[in-house]
Amino acid sequence: MSAALLPAGLRFGGARARHLVLAARLVAGASIALFALGTPGFTSPLSVNALLNAVSFIGCVAVGMSFITLTGNIMSLCLGATVSASALIFLASLSLGISAAFLLALAFGVAVTAAQGLLVGYIRANPILVSIAGLSLLIGGAALVTGGQRIYPGGTGLQMFKGRVAGIPVEALYFFATVIVGQFILSWTRIGRVMLMVGSNPRAATAAGLGTAGAVTAAYAVAGACSALSGVLLAARYGSGDMELGAGYDYSAIAAVLVGGTSIQGGSGSVLRTLIGVTVIAVIEVVLLLRGFSEQLQYLITGAIVLAVIMLHTVGERP
Amino acid sequence: MPILAVKGLTKRFGPNEVLRNVTLALDAQEVRAICGENGAGKSTLIKIVTGVYRPDGGVLLVDGEPTEITDPQHAQELGIALVAQELSLAPALSVLDNIWLGNRKVPLFHRRKELRARARSALAKVGLGDLSLETPVSQLSIGRRQLVELARMLTRDARIFMLDEPTATLSDVEIERIFDALRALRAEGKSIIYITHRLGEVFQICDTVSVLRNGELVGTRRTQEIDRAQLMELMLGRSMGEMYPRWESRPGEPALVVRNLRVPPIVENFNLTALRGTVVCLAGQVGSGAVEVLRALAGLTFNATGNVSVAGEPLQLRSAQKAQACKLRFISEDRAGEGLFLRLNVGQNLVATRLAEYSRLGILARRGLRALAAGLAAAIGIDRARLRSPADELSGGNQQKLAFGRSIGGGEPGVLLMNEPTRGVDVGARAEIYRLIRGLCEAGYCLVLASSDIEEVLGMADVIVTMYRGRQVATYQRGEADVHRVLGDITHAVAAA
Repeated sequence: MSAALLPAGLRFGGARARHLVLAARLVAGASIALFALGTPGFTSPLSVNALLNAVSFIGCVAVGMSFITLTGNIMSLCLGATVSASALIFLASLSLGISAAFLLALAFGVAVTAAQGLLVGYIRANPILVSIAGLSLLIGGAALVTGGQRIYPGGTGLQMFKGRVAGIPVEALYFFATVIVGQFILSWTRIGRVMLMVGSNPRAATAAGLGTAGAVTAAYAVAGACSALSGVLLAARYGSGDMELGAGYDYSAIAAVLVGGTSIQGGSGSVLRTLIGVTVIAVIEVVLLLRGFSEQLQYLITGAIVLAVIMLHTVGERP
Repeated sequence: MPILAVKGLTKRFGPNEVLRNVTLALDAQEVRAICGENGAGKSTLIKIVTGVYRPDGGVLLVDGEPTEITDPQHAQELGIALVAQELSLAPALSVLDNIWLGNRKVPLFHRRKELRARARSALAKVGLGDLSLETPVSQLSIGRRQLVELARMLTRDARIFMLDEPTATLSDVEIERIFDALRALRAEGKSIIYITHRLGEVFQICDTVSVLRNGELVGTRRTQEIDRAQLMELMLGRSMGEMYPRWESRPGEPALVVRNLRVPPIVENFNLTALRGTVVCLAGQVGSGAVEVLRALAGLTFNATGNVSVAGEPLQLRSAQKAQACKLRFISEDRAGEGLFLRLNVGQNLVATRLAEYSRLGILARRGLRALAAGLAAAIGIDRARLRSPADELSGGNQQKLAFGRSIGGGEPGVLLMNEPTRGVDVGARAEIYRLIRGLCEAGYCLVLASSDIEEVLGMADVIVTMYRGRQVATYQRGEADVHRVLGDITHAVAAA
């Protein structure tokens, strides 16, 4: 209807808009790459390391966030707190052994986030509101249990989650594994396909008798697992933790998801795109750092770039 | 001098010409009916006159002056008011507030008392003199809301009232009240344009009737000078020609048996036995309950009750998943909203409901799915090269074929439930879809269609069930029914006469 009211010249054909966006993406990607390689010190081991680290912690959360966005539930504001809380659980239960602690943290992340998915999927609760409630509960619960104290590891074995293998940081390996598993779920499993369909058109998915609520819950469970992994990696790296550990990760993660080109409306996108989004943002940040921009300016420029990318996609998605 | 006239009006949407050279004139104190089949251009005409669309050709004359209506506000200032099908009242606000809501003539500082008095007098004119101004609109019935809407337009000094199927969802008593209000408006000197599908109403309330067909004006007549049969001829006009395939009925065993289906608040005691290899058409207008029957069978209404069995197996109602498992497939007319996954590609759409058969331990057999998609695309006549393009790049007709393709195949033929199978589909693709329906029928499927297009019903059905306000009026076997009987049944001319 509104498209019919627009003069023909202002209307984008679906295919034409997509080609425009693709071209813009390629140009932007190429210029970022040139800019990065032209920055002295970008290829030094130190900066590559910094890049991989920045990518890994936020990347795991971003992979999880992709699932929430893809199923049409926009984002969760609770994943950052889930990262922190899982890290605390991991540290506190290290005395039970490293694997038990890891599994406990993972189970915690899955349970907390899947519970939100249940509310969103079965009761059709508003996903943003549910995640805000989850955030409050986690922060309040953690303050009650820890009394606001930092948590230090109750056992050993942390090196399993830090250090390097063949010169690559272990964190990055875990992150790449997460990307592979995430993409596998999305494109090779039945539940992943149903997630895409629910995200594309929830009413059609219901009418077709697909298990929509189950798929949404599963998507949240995956997001929880990814966040917990990020929490464990952070805890291992810093050797202690509090609820500030993952603060703000939700925002960085959704920025990466959107910059990668996953649609905020759901149904279109992938985990590999999120990998690209995370990398692009991290590269920009590292380049700005190397070129000596102040931290405030870095935030500003990154914000502007994210905004530009999102506007570009909005144009491409307009019917 | 006519107070409103259009001359040579033309409107195109892309390549489709929806109005062609339409010329009409409306006098003061005239009630004019506009009739025509779905897609004849009635609503487009109204939208041009009320400033929603701009015409591509022709002129509009208000009080004899050529006028370019730029937007709905402008139309309002000229005294042209649209009483929309979807009511535009704010349910949480009071009657008084709703009447003045959006009125640009209310100054920032105003005397509440005066507004109350004027609202009360407007309400009195439409027969709501007893209504308290403080009542929230949410407490009013749909019929009363329409009357409030009329009163609202009166306070805006409207001279021409446009009503688009105002009675589609109303009961007899409420319809009578609307008619009384319209007669009162006419006595006040107002003019009314009245779009309706119900032919009885044309003769009950209107002075003149204009008939549109395929975007062209077929003619304008005084209602005293013609009868129902002549009006119907004007509406249908063309022959039913080659659009519909020829076929021989080969009914098989019962595929779908429905007993005592109730879907509150519309459908009462619906019964049907549909045989394999046949097309059953539920014919009815908006509000007839035909759509609700289909949705209930597809498991999409939460309050349906009754006994339904599919191929002898009892079906649990109110679950889309159960319906799907019983090979009961619903094809929605709302392809974008409820039918397809437009952001996914054609292939993914085709296999959407078949993932369970093509996965093991939750992992998809992607090669099998690709082969399945290719096979289905061939069966419905979609180019295999398009399997990877997004579904929203397909035309309306091809999208409808996609919806078909998704619902067929996989062992025993099942039951297809289709609402308005050719809505928004152009003429060429229509014929193709009808052939597709017949082909499926020959392959042993049972098809139940809900349609408000009488030509389509007569051209396609083995069995016609006519419906009016939630009840079955009659059941005809192929060849027993004609246009007049079906139209009479679904517009309930018997009661009106």
